[in-house]
Amino acid sequence: MIWQSIYVVLMFQFVLVFGAYDLKNLNIWPMPESVEYGAKSIFLSKEFHLKTDGSKYPDASGILKDGFTRLLDVITANNIIEFNSKVDDSLLLQGINVVILSDSDELQYGIDESYKLLVHANGKQNYAEIEAATVYGALHALQTFSQLCHFNFKSRKLVISQLPWTITDKPRFSYRGLLIDTSRHYQPLPMIKKVIDSMAYAKLVKCIALAYCRYTGFSFRNTFFSKIMGCYAKKRGINVLAELDVPGHAVSWGVGYPELWPSKNCTEPLDVSNEFTFKLINGVLSDFSKIFKYKFVHLGGDEVDTSCWSATPRIKKWLEQKGFNESQAYEYFVLKAQKIAVSHGYEVINWEETFNNFGSKLDRKTVVHNWLGSGVAQKVVESGLRCIVSNQDSWYLDHLDATWQQFYTNEPLTNITNPNLQKLVLGGEVCMWGEHVDGSDIEQTIWPRAAAAAERLWTNVGRLAKNPKDVGLRLMHFRCLLNQRGVAAAPLDGPGRVAPIEPGSCYVQ
Amino acid sequence: MSAKFPIPNPSPLLLFFTILSILFYLTPIINSRTLRTVGSSSHLSDDSSITYLWPLPSEFTYGNETLVVDPSLSLSLFGNGGNSAIVREAFERYRTIIFKHVGSSKFGMRDLGYDITKLTVIVHSDNEELQLGVDESYTLLVAKNNGLSVIGEVTVEANTVYGALRGLETFSQLCGFDYGTKTVQIYKAPWFIKDKPRFAFRGLLLDTSRHYYPVDIIKQIIESMSYVKLNVLHWHIIDEESFPLEVPAYPKLWKGAYTKWERYTVEDAYEIVNFAKMRGINVMAEIDVPGHGESWGVGYPDLWPSTSCKEPLDVSKNFTFEVLSGILQDMREIFPFELFHLGGDEVNTDCWNNTPHVKQWLDDKNMTTKDAYEYFVLQAQEIAISKNWTPVNWEETFNTFPEKLNPRTVVHNWLGGGVCPKVVAQGLRCIYSNQGFWYLDHLDVQWDGVYDADPLEGISDSAEQDRVLGGEVCMWSETADPSNVQQTIWPRAASAAERLWSSKETAPRSNARVLRRLQYMRCLLTRRGVPASPVTNFYARSSPIGPGSCYDQ
Repeated sequence: MIWQSIYVVLMFQFVLVFGAYDLKNLNIWPMPESVEYGAKSIFLSKEFHLKTDGSKYPDASGILKDGFTRLLDVITANNIIEFNSKVDDSLLLQGINVVILSDSDELQYGIDESYKLLVHANGKQNYAEIEAATVYGALHALQTFSQLCHFNFKSRKLVISQLPWTITDKPRFSYRGLLIDTSRHYQPLPMIKKVIDSMAYAKLVKCIALAYCRYTGFSFRNTFFSKIMGCYAKKRGINVLAELDVPGHAVSWGVGYPELWPSKNCTEPLDVSNEFTFKLINGVLSDFSKIFKYKFVHLGGDEVDTSCWSATPRIKKWLEQKGFNESQAYEYFVLKAQKIAVSHGYEVINWEETFNNFGSKLDRKTVVHNWLGSGVAQKVVESGLRCIVSNQDSWYLDHLDATWQQFYTNEPLTNITNPNLQKLVLGGEVCMWGEHVDGSDIEQTIWPRAAAAAERLWTNVGRLAKNPKDVGLRLMHFRCLLNQRGVAAAPLDGPGRVAPIEPGSCYVQ
Repeated sequence: MSAKFPIPNPSPLLLFFTILSILFYLTPIINSRTLRTVGSSSHLSDDSSITYLWPLPSEFTYGNETLVVDPSLSLSLFGNGGNSAIVREAFERYRTIIFKHVGSSKFGMRDLGYDITKLTVIVHSDNEELQLGVDESYTLLVAKNNGLSVIGEVTVEANTVYGALRGLETFSQLCGFDYGTKTVQIYKAPWFIKDKPRFAFRGLLLDTSRHYYPVDIIKQIIESMSYVKLNVLHWHIIDEESFPLEVPAYPKLWKGAYTKWERYTVEDAYEIVNFAKMRGINVMAEIDVPGHGESWGVGYPDLWPSTSCKEPLDVSKNFTFEVLSGILQDMREIFPFELFHLGGDEVNTDCWNNTPHVKQWLDDKNMTTKDAYEYFVLQAQEIAISKNWTPVNWEETFNTFPEKLNPRTVVHNWLGGGVCPKVVAQGLRCIYSNQGFWYLDHLDVQWDGVYDADPLEGISDSAEQDRVLGGEVCMWSETADPSNVQQTIWPRAASAAERLWSSKETAPRSNARVLRRLQYMRCLLTRRGVPASPVTNFYARSSPIGPGSCYDQ
């Protein structure tokens, strides 16, 4: 009987092509570049499977296969699906055929992440079609596909409605980052894995930065973890960017090597006068280069209070011999560390203080990581350097008073109109500093606000809502989807990681 | 109370075990000693004297050897219950947990061989029925295979598969990842552990009406319950705010769900029950009548006294009891546990007086509203009993008409202390959930308050003590949802879990050593992906106050 009623619906097929204002019935996050949809429905077959007819990608490491398995896992996680009743083949979607044009699975900054996704309304052997330049574009397509599937409580089946779907999509920025800080609090492996999984759901985040340097056990323990994490993240199309924050923020280094401290009672920044300091940085970066294949490494360089250097007689003497004042020594340190990183084949990211203090001296391939405030990106790109935007007032997740609306409306290209300069903005990153975040509260501090930034970074600027109110319901829907996938995303209604104020539906809180 | 070797047991295998364990003590190279936490001094720096098992087993001894565990640890199953999928699947789960840091084989290579390569599980009974009072006892032996024994290494012996599950959990807590060698190690071996629960009923209430929890989240909660040996999920399915469960007999009832997405099908409920059973956890369903039933009327407005006065359910209509009976009939298929919770709390009967047709009915029957409340509860009990259920009711029913309750009733305490003593003195059974300590939504109760509460407080007669089935921590969901429920539950539910599992002698009161152990357990939970909050914060589920180690916060 259900079939008959669906047949009736099928008779009235019509196709909508949405403009920027016609997003109301679309619950896809982040919004793709172009979406066309109709009004038919189809069930997913019990044997829903992956095909790769015509694909050039061999999938030797199973990235696509595993991505498809994860797709099945998330769409079947919450309800028992009824597969026994006989359904006409023409009402079933048999699987997905994925065509990938590149045979490489190299994951690097700027790879082609575009994809095309078609879900046809009819056909005897009906397969959804994905076409992508790289396997990572195909993974994004699978994420979009997963958001089209839902459980129908009447038929007890997985359904895709609004058929036929034609979606073409590509990211606006290549660098869509989330920083997690494993130093202020240790984050257990399963928590990091869950964060990586949920990043993939939001497509937002292609890059994840682990803040290393402040952690006492950084040398061994973290490289070991990083191997596991790097592999786990790569399978999800996510790069791991390592950060070595020098010369400030490095007290913990001296626990293992006290000679890195200026003195026992003045332990930061690292001793600029000691060649061993740079030898150690060289050693760490050499290790990094074997593990982290991403073309960038983050060398920090923020919040350097140099008073320890003058206060320590030995270093004071060295400064005088070199004719350096403290800020020149800071510059000397940063530039020397940059050279070491470049010698290992890396391009360097530094926090904005380095640019603010001696921008013209920085290696010309430096990417400046903004955080202090707005307007920095404009200055950086005008000076010819590249920039990543993380202004703390809007994109620091530990600022609990920053609302999702602020995260949504924070525009990386503010006041940058020249297309050549716009290209120098690689993207942005939301930052989850860990002073008050550990394994117990990381997810709800990140989500859903990071998702708001994700759309800003992914979605074509013409498709972005001018008023965040217009996307509130869709974001709420995505937050509930995260909950269904076991991610503890917080209510939208209130500041970061707020508890729900009263009983109510997920879809209104 | 004193440490002693296990008393020889008629069971031949246990006897064999006993001889085996004595052999260990006689082996001079193994310098075993025994430990009880009772009255231990507070040398917190001496971490090796603290036993990081939660909840603490009733009897255990250990030595001073470190054993390395093979990542391809194998399982051998023996006994009448040895062919159990429950044990086999549990073994796979624990293997994943234990070896999660041992990545690909190149990290796990070890030239020296392993001390532990095999885990043996002996289950005597093939009866896998999970009911109140099922035998959850087990013995666990962990020892190097040094040629003295034929069954050495790791052996879990239990009468039922559920005892075996508890033993596997304990074993998993003995295993730790060593970052230096990148291997899984067991410290202080050989271990001999003989364990059983103090109470048969060790519950956690989850309220899926004030906020909806996707099935995946409920499964996460059930999984985490098994880590602390809790064994009853009290599923407070329905309340006045929403009716998320499908009831085939009355298909409009789940129109009372918040949205069309926030619902559970019958099949979903089966799945939850089965998922829980695989972990040795019973699901006790609740429908809270007559007071908390407003959402029922969304689909069937006749259940409301009137559209302007919607609670309690209309006592005057037969239809009300027909629906109740239909729900219980459908639920009987889903929930095999012998206890069924009928609620009965917080009944404000004003609506009955204020609604003319109900008032008329009261007059005709010559009932006060209080009489009608009693009438409703007893009717509901009759229906439940007719479907072969043992009724559980919140304490207001006992406080209001103690003599009238069915003698099989289990009274569920919540309002305050001193209730269970009265309940058991009258011959009824009791579950302890004093809201001053065991309501998890009370965020200002700290871990030690939870820990020091005792279901047997004020009950000294042993027959009366036997009538206290146990206790339950309650996660009411007015301000909890999938984003924060786990950190509201943990670590405080673990506090109660030790109170409910470990004997009073083993775990008398909170102290600095217990705190140390609980902090360790909380970190273990986070390592298993359970977002358990810092232990020492004043308010539950609050964030860490500053940077620091998990083990100190």
